[in-house]
Amino acid sequence: MSIAEAQAAELAVEQPSGLLKDALVRLRRNPGAILGMVLIGAFVLLAIFAPLVAPYGPAERVGGLATNPPGPTSEFWFGLDDQGRDLFSRIVYGARLSLLIGVVSVAVGLTFGMSLGALAGYFGGRIDTVVMRSMDIMLAFPGFLLAIGLVTVLGRGLGQIMIAVGITNVPVFARLLRGTILGQRESDYILAARSVGTPGPRILFRHLLPNSVAPVIVQATLACATAIIDVAGLSFLGLGPSDPGLPEWGRILADNAGRLNQSIHLVIFPGFAIVLSVLGLNLIGDGLREAIDPKLRS
Amino acid sequence: MTDSQPAARPDALVRVEDLKLHFSEGGFGRSRSVVKAVDGVTFDVLSGETLGLVGESGCGKTTVGRTILRLYEPTAGRIVFDGQDISGASTRQLRPLRRRMQMIFQDPYSSLNPRQNVGNAIAEPLEVHGLAEGSQADRRVRELLEVVGLPANAANRYPHEFSGGQRQRVGLARSLALNPDLIVADEPVSALDVSIQAQIVNLLEDLQAEFGLTYLFIAHDLAVVRHISDRIAVMYLGKIVEIADADTLYNSPKHPYTRALLSAVPIPDPQVERSRERIILTGDLPSPADPPTGCRFHTRCPYVQPERCHDEEPLLRPLSGRESQGQVAACHYAEDIEDGRLAPREGLVVRAEPTA
Repeated sequence: MSIAEAQAAELAVEQPSGLLKDALVRLRRNPGAILGMVLIGAFVLLAIFAPLVAPYGPAERVGGLATNPPGPTSEFWFGLDDQGRDLFSRIVYGARLSLLIGVVSVAVGLTFGMSLGALAGYFGGRIDTVVMRSMDIMLAFPGFLLAIGLVTVLGRGLGQIMIAVGITNVPVFARLLRGTILGQRESDYILAARSVGTPGPRILFRHLLPNSVAPVIVQATLACATAIIDVAGLSFLGLGPSDPGLPEWGRILADNAGRLNQSIHLVIFPGFAIVLSVLGLNLIGDGLREAIDPKLRS
Repeated sequence: MTDSQPAARPDALVRVEDLKLHFSEGGFGRSRSVVKAVDGVTFDVLSGETLGLVGESGCGKTTVGRTILRLYEPTAGRIVFDGQDISGASTRQLRPLRRRMQMIFQDPYSSLNPRQNVGNAIAEPLEVHGLAEGSQADRRVRELLEVVGLPANAANRYPHEFSGGQRQRVGLARSLALNPDLIVADEPVSALDVSIQAQIVNLLEDLQAEFGLTYLFIAHDLAVVRHISDRIAVMYLGKIVEIADADTLYNSPKHPYTRALLSAVPIPDPQVERSRERIILTGDLPSPADPPTGCRFHTRCPYVQPERCHDEEPLLRPLSGRESQGQVAACHYAEDIEDGRLAPREGLVVRAEPTA
C-alpha cells in the first residue's frame, strides 16, 4: 500500500491544484491505475535499491562461460547467461536503465514539444503554420524509423539514443499542446485576463498552460512506455548503447535470441520486465486520462 | 453618414462613432465572405449612467462591448474614452486605460480560470498594474470580497466550489479591483436563476451608487434592462435602430423593431395581457454576411412600404414635429406609424381578443 501512497504523493507534488486533487481521488478508485502504480512503484524501488536487491553486480561473472547456460535455481533465481552473469541481478540493474531512458527521452520530447506547441498555439498565424508544418514532416516518418535514422546520425551512445527517441515524441507533444491551447485561447477567462491588461507571457504561463497540460501529462506517461519499448527495440536491432556490458533489457533479449531453444529463461525474464513496466505505465496513463478528461468520465 | 450623426455630448465618458467591425470568414478553397457584425454604430455613454444595449442574439451587441474595450480591433470608426481616441491605441498605450474600463461576462462558469483560486483571480489585476502585492493585495482582496458579499475565506477556494451567482460575484470583485470608471456588463445575469438575477442586479446598482460607475449593460432580457438602465439603445443586425430614455422607450417606442420587441414582453396582468396587441416577427434574423439593402429590418417589418424601405438606409433621427427628449429612431415612416396612418400587414399583428 505504501507504494501506491508514495506514487500518489509524488503526483500531488507535481500538480498542487484543486482539479488535479479531484483527479487523484478518482485515480485512486480505478483498480487498473492502482495496479499500474504498484507495478511502476515496484520498478522504481528496484531501480533505487538495485545494489541492495541484486545479489551480484550487473557485469559480475559468477559462473563459467557456457553455450547452454543453466536455468533458474534457488541460488540464481533467473538463471545465468552465457557469460556466467546472474540474470536476476542484470534485470534489476536494467530497471535503472529503462526508467532513466523513459524519463529522459520523455523530458527531451516534452521540453521541445511543449515549447513549440505553446508557441504555435499562442501566437497562431505564420508561426503556427511554420511550426506545425515542420511537425507534420516529422510525423510523416514512422516514429521508430525516425529513431533509427536519428541514432545512425547521432551515434550509439546511451545519451544519443535517449535524445533520438525523445525527438520522435516532439511532434506528438507539440500538436497536443497546440490543440488544447487553441481550444482555451478564445475562452472568457482569457478575454478577462486580456481586458485587465495582463501581459502575454503571463497569460500563457498563468492561464493557458495550467489549463492545457492535463492531456500532455497523460500522453507523457504513455510516451514513457513507448520510449522503453523503442530503446529495447533499437537494442534488439543492434542499434542500442554500444557498451556491451550495459544490462539493457532489449539488449539482453537480442543477445540471447539465438538461444531460445536451449535456454528460454534468457528471453522470458527480460521480456517480462519490458512487458510489465510498459503495462504499468500504460495503466497509469489510461487511468490518468479517465481521471482528468471529463468527457470519458462515467 | 458621419456628418449626420448627433454631435458628442460633453458629458460622455465613451463616445462611439460610426464603429464598424467586420470579420472575414472562409479562405482556402472557399470564397471569402465578410460578416458585418457591427456596421456603423454611433452612441455615447454618459458619465455615471447605465446605457442598456438590447437586441436579438447575433445582432452584434457583444461585439460592440468587446470592441469598446479594444479586445477586438475595430475595422473602422472611432472610440473615444474620456476625450482620448483609443481606436488605434497600441497594447502598450492601452495598458493604463485598462485600469479604467472593465468587463463582466455572461457565463460565470467560463469567465474564471478553473486552476486559479479566487484570491489570485481578484489580485491579478492589482499585480499586473503593480498596485499592490503580498499582504497589501490580500487586504484589498478581502475588502473586495466583502463589497460583493462573499466571505473572506472564499479567497482560498477554487471557482468550481462556487455556485453561478457566487462566481458572478467573484467576477464582479475582479472587475472592481482597479477602481474602474466604465464597466461593460455583457449579459451579466442571463445565465443565472431568476432569484439570483435580482440579487446581482441590485448589487450592480449598489456598486454603481457607491463607486460612481458607468455601465454599458448588454442584455436581451427587456425587463432587466428597463429596471437598471437610464437610457437604452436597441440594435438590429449590426446597427442601432433606436436610442431613448428607458421610460420613453418603453412607453412610446418609435421604431417598428422596438415595438415588436416590447410587444413580446408579457405583462403580469391577465386582463391587459389578453387585450394588448402583439406584433409577431416572421422569419429569422438575416445573415450579417449579406444584410438586406436599404433598411435592414424591411424583410421582417410589419409596416414595410414599397418605397424607400428597400433602397434607402434610414438614419437615426429625432421624430419631426414633436418633443424628442433625446429619442432617436432609424425609420423612414416613424411619424406615420406613430400617428396610425400606416397599418401593419395582415396577419402580423395579433389584435385584442374579444373579452367575454
